Amino acid sequence: MEVDLVAEPILKVEGIHTFIGKHHILQGVSFDVHPGKVTVLLGRNGAGKTTTLRSIMGLLSPSQGTILFKNQAIHHMKSFDIARLGIGFVPEDRGLFNLLTVEENFRVAMFQEDKSTQQRVETILEIFPDLKRFWKAKAGILSGGQKQMLAISRPLVNKNELLLIDEPSKGLAPIVIDHLIEAVQKLQEQTMIILVEQNFYMASSLGNDFYIFDDGRTVLNGQMEELIRNEELKKKYLGISGTT
Amino acid sequence: MSPQWRQWFPKFIGFAIFLLPLLFINPKTYITLTISGLAMGMLLFLVSSGFSLIFGFLSVLNLAHGALFAWGAYIGFTAFSLINKWTGWGGSNSIFSNMLIFLLVLMVAGIGVAILGVVTERLVIRPVYGSHLFQIFITVGAMIVMEELIRIVWGPNDEVMPVPMNFMGSWDLFDVVISKYPLIAIVIGLIIYFGIYTILKKTKLGLIVRAGVENPEMVQVMGHNIYRYFTGVFAAGSALAAIGGGMWATFVKSINPAMGGEVIVFALIVAIIGGLGSMTGSVVGALMVGLSYNYVAYLIPKAALGITMLLLVVILLIRPTGLFKEGT
Amino acid sequence: MKKNGLNPVQIFHLKEKEERFRNPSFFLRILLLAFFMTTPFLFRSFEIADVVLKIIIFSALVASYDIILGYTGIVSLGHVMYFGIGSYFVGIFMGKLGLTSYGYLALAILIAVVISGILSVLIGFFSLRIRAIFFAMVTLAFMEFTFILASQLRPITGGEDGISFKLPGIFAIDYSLGRFLGVEFTGRMISYYLILLVSLILFLLMLRFVHSPLGRVLQSIRDNEQRSIALGYRTYLFQVMASSFASCVAAITGGCYAIWVCYVSPDSSLSVPIMLDVLLMVIVGGMGTLYGGIFGAAFLMITRAFLPKLQVLIASLLPGVPFAIRLSERWLFYFGLLFILIVYFFPKGVVGTAQEIISRRKAE
Repeated sequence: MEVDLVAEPILKVEGIHTFIGKHHILQGVSFDVHPGKVTVLLGRNGAGKTTTLRSIMGLLSPSQGTILFKNQAIHHMKSFDIARLGIGFVPEDRGLFNLLTVEENFRVAMFQEDKSTQQRVETILEIFPDLKRFWKAKAGILSGGQKQMLAISRPLVNKNELLLIDEPSKGLAPIVIDHLIEAVQKLQEQTMIILVEQNFYMASSLGNDFYIFDDGRTVLNGQMEELIRNEELKKKYLGISGTT
Repeated sequence: MSPQWRQWFPKFIGFAIFLLPLLFINPKTYITLTISGLAMGMLLFLVSSGFSLIFGFLSVLNLAHGALFAWGAYIGFTAFSLINKWTGWGGSNSIFSNMLIFLLVLMVAGIGVAILGVVTERLVIRPVYGSHLFQIFITVGAMIVMEELIRIVWGPNDEVMPVPMNFMGSWDLFDVVISKYPLIAIVIGLIIYFGIYTILKKTKLGLIVRAGVENPEMVQVMGHNIYRYFTGVFAAGSALAAIGGGMWATFVKSINPAMGGEVIVFALIVAIIGGLGSMTGSVVGALMVGLSYNYVAYLIPKAALGITMLLLVVILLIRPTGLFKEGT
Repeated sequence: MKKNGLNPVQIFHLKEKEERFRNPSFFLRILLLAFFMTTPFLFRSFEIADVVLKIIIFSALVASYDIILGYTGIVSLGHVMYFGIGSYFVGIFMGKLGLTSYGYLALAILIAVVISGILSVLIGFFSLRIRAIFFAMVTLAFMEFTFILASQLRPITGGEDGISFKLPGIFAIDYSLGRFLGVEFTGRMISYYLILLVSLILFLLMLRFVHSPLGRVLQSIRDNEQRSIALGYRTYLFQVMASSFASCVAAITGGCYAIWVCYVSPDSSLSVPIMLDVLLMVIVGGMGTLYGGIFGAAFLMITRAFLPKLQVLIASLLPGVPFAIRLSERWLFYFGLLFILIVYFFPKGVVGTAQEIISRRKAE
């Protein structure tokens, strides 16, 4: 996919406030996602990153602010309509249907069962040959890494323009994380990615732009290269010291 | 209790239910009882599967399910009288036209209650998604309203349920008495079970329902209007209850406005034993309850309900979530 | 921070006690009590006294159910089983066994209480560990089972027809103490006051229970079970305790009921419709507010006693068509609709919502 240098952001999140019950979780979140870049959302636990993804996906309704996808307002739309616009979601717990087979997991995700979808499935299976091997097996028996591959690739059976991924490296061994990074790098060619990650190694390997969350607000943003070198920032907002 | 025991103990119980009675009952009576047990099981399956499916997919406790069952019986009652008046199929001796009218009646009852179900889901259930407690409350209210509505429309008295001519009576095969209707009920029940099974396993619709039983939120995120599916499943579950109602009424040959209440307890027990949200569980649980009830009713009439309670307690002890998992 | 050597919790309690007497609703409660005490004199009609006493009895029953449902957060659908046990023991002792004496009356209730307590502990131990909704269904199944048991064991329970019996001594219907303030003080009246006294004591006991440290633990379990467990409380033990306390109270109210109607049968003491009534009452009145039970009981009893009369009136105005007659006849239908609306608009019940409004006003 060609990188558009005069890039109009594909996703514009502006001034989002979201409540869960009476808790004011997001108190002013703003960021842009530019085509061709992987945008990483960083921050400590509880800073509001997952809530942000869920707000974008329509699972939570922001009380204030706007979310524009390709200049269309989506912050009041229902999740299934948002999905049909070409936004995919990979939640923290992966959201797999463990009792269904790998094939069935893909089928649920498909909007249409036509040739182009079929082709996309084949492309995915080339990138992730394991999924081909376990095609008819129940998703529940896959290993952690394989489950993550399935979860990430599943939304891509459709013409997907934006993929929201929440902490994919959670619970995975370092070598599996390396595989995952490779896989996501290949996927990046197909779709835009917003990545929420605690694992700085993964975040820095994949991310181009970053936004730091603190206390339900976006407090800082910039290019990933700058952040990697800035020890002070890393310690302050991410609690990381030394090289990770 | 070790996990292995937990695995084969239920199967052991299953076999025990089937085979133990042979020690006490002579084979011919055994066959008759088995057939009526299976028939009762099939009917219980119809009612409890609807409840189980609704709970599994929508995570909703619908205590008005019994009222829907009664509505099915009553609509069937009226439908039968009307169709029979028009075509005379019910009174004829031809088993073919008997079947025709019977199936037609069940279809009408199913569709009618499905519509009722859609209305109920929209008005009564939607506001209380997420809170089991309030679901209990509001569905109790709905149950009262529905039952009273029956009394308003049809009157408060018991009515005799007409049965197609050729369904009554029995066949005599080698000295074994096989009642006709229970056999028919078993066959219809099996057909419906396989129908549901096929839809669930082979169609995309069924796939989405099965996925939704596991994770409704995720299904929504994948682009499916889950609310439409909720309504649809609720309607389907209600239709199942209605068909169960129509068939039950034909079985006991009478209907009364409070009939839902009697059956719902059994349906609940079956659903718990089988595992809420599992179709296979409903079948197995229903057959276990139906068979055990019939055998014991023959041997020690007063203990029949006791055996059902015993089964419930035993299953709760070794497998509190029921025999089968959600979504199977 | 200590004041007069008291710690903050004790200060809080002291303040609560002080405010209690200045609370307007306190006078409301005294008024209500006065009303209950003077009803037989205010209204010479037996029917009204009957309705009022039933309200009193059911208030206590509903309050005991509220302890489980509203304060501890357990959904039981078989609570009326204990009510039935209480009724039946009185009935069996007085009726079937003919042991009519004060001693045996007390003994009957005592045994019923013990059995109810034990039973609820057993059921609790088995079922409270599983998902809440299973517990609800299991309790329902158990109550149904007891119902059928009572219907079948004719020699002991009188089967479906039940047991009619006479009460001993001063409670007997034909006993008279003479006239007082122009009203004949019959055994009935004496029973009335006995039951009123017992119910009052039960109610006060329940209030004490709910405001005690134990009660507060239960509320914390209801609000956030995980947190309570994290704080070190064996939650299910507390739940079992609350459940057995409530069932013992229910058994006593059942005994009172049997004393009042001198009759016990599966339909009048053990049936699902009664459980539904209790459920309706606690919802209409409000969960987690013991007083809600009084309102709920009053609402249902009065509706049930007087709506049919209203109906006969309306029916006489609408001639002919059976459908129209039936439409007006089935008051329960309108009640059901009303009930759904109440659940929808007053999820906390009438008393509960009132309490909420009051506390919100206070906070402003």
